Amino acid sequence: MGIGPSTKETSLHHFRDPLLEVVAEDTDLDLMGVMLVGSPDGNEDKMLVGTRAAVWAECMRADGVILSCDGWGNSHVDYTNTIEQIGIRGIPVTGITFNGTVAQFVVVNDYLDAIVDINKSESGEETDVVGENNMDRIDCLKAKALLKLKMRKKEQESR
Amino acid sequence: MADEVKDLRRLVIKAFHMNEVEWGDHNDITTDGHMTVSREMLDELVAAEEHIEKIDIQIIKPGDHDRWTNTMMDIVPISTKVLGKLGEGITHTITGVYVILTGVDVNGKQCHEFGSSEGNLKEQLYLNRAGTPGDNDYIISFDVTLAAGMGQERPGPTAAHRACDKFIQSYRDKLKKFKGEKCTERHEYHDIVRPGKKKVLIIKQVAGQGAMYDTHLFAKEPSGVEGGKSIIDMGNMPIIVSPNEYRDGIIRSMQ
Repeated sequence: MGIGPSTKETSLHHFRDPLLEVVAEDTDLDLMGVMLVGSPDGNEDKMLVGTRAAVWAECMRADGVILSCDGWGNSHVDYTNTIEQIGIRGIPVTGITFNGTVAQFVVVNDYLDAIVDINKSESGEETDVVGENNMDRIDCLKAKALLKLKMRKKEQESR
Repeated sequence: MADEVKDLRRLVIKAFHMNEVEWGDHNDITTDGHMTVSREMLDELVAAEEHIEKIDIQIIKPGDHDRWTNTMMDIVPISTKVLGKLGEGITHTITGVYVILTGVDVNGKQCHEFGSSEGNLKEQLYLNRAGTPGDNDYIISFDVTLAAGMGQERPGPTAAHRACDKFIQSYRDKLKKFKGEKCTERHEYHDIVRPGKKKVLIIKQVAGQGAMYDTHLFAKEPSGVEGGKSIIDMGNMPIIVSPNEYRDGIIRSMQ
């Protein structure tokens, strides 16, 4: 399993990505940049690259991370690990991915409390309809709002 | 002055809307919104790629989607750099028409990794998403037939993307010369530092497993292929791009 037609992000999607716009336009936030991490085939590599992404976030002193995932199934193995690695480092993190009914996380951990499910099909399945289960602006606003909440909570706890 | 916003760089994207797309002797576009499409390049494109057996092009009018499509490999905007490099300067892009790359092999095996979208186009394409055409957009279908089995080997889909990119380049070369003031939309984007605000990083996990599960970065042209590097070949390691680089089409999606 990997990326099905209904979730896959086309080149046009990346050109007009709602997630970037939602974060960039928010004057309460300082958008550091966009990090791209591949989803490799082997499990060992999945853990490696996701952990490197988390170390990057820590070394950049990110206050928060929104992690999106193109694909599901085995792509969620690295996805959930990356979220865990970011969470372990004390960085608030929220996510955007496809879960529906068929793509519940195959691996779970303690840091998956703020994941926005972009499923839009009635059945919650991979419908093979291009674009159907893509993230839209509302999904991105939700992930951003959740991140703001988590960052505020962390700030209050540290006082 | 700790809280002063810092403006790092500016990217201007000027859009030129196409009102009409029809067959013509050559690939051409004009600032008054007229686009012509020709099959004249196709033989040359096929000859240049050992894994490609055939290429066909269709012009699909808005709403005219009750037709067969092979699996959709990518949907690509036609954009080009006019000034500066990806992420800064000026980019011209076309609205009103998008290219859909589709692929199958000579034996009818669809070009996909996990699930495919061949079938009736009106049932297989959800319109009006960020990554899909809108109700009123034309589609140019760029349909590639690969050699047997090559839809599942990395060189196959990469060749299809490369051929499609050369086709798009014929429009980019003309789009580059458009007078900026004739644009139908103008968007200005700034990479901005907001000191004192919460620092947020967006991480996107993208495809990196193999054929039809690949992501290319850093092409010379926005959403392009030539000069791009595969994230697989870069070990799938995290790479950082600026917001403006990202929104200027630094990714070519190959899954």
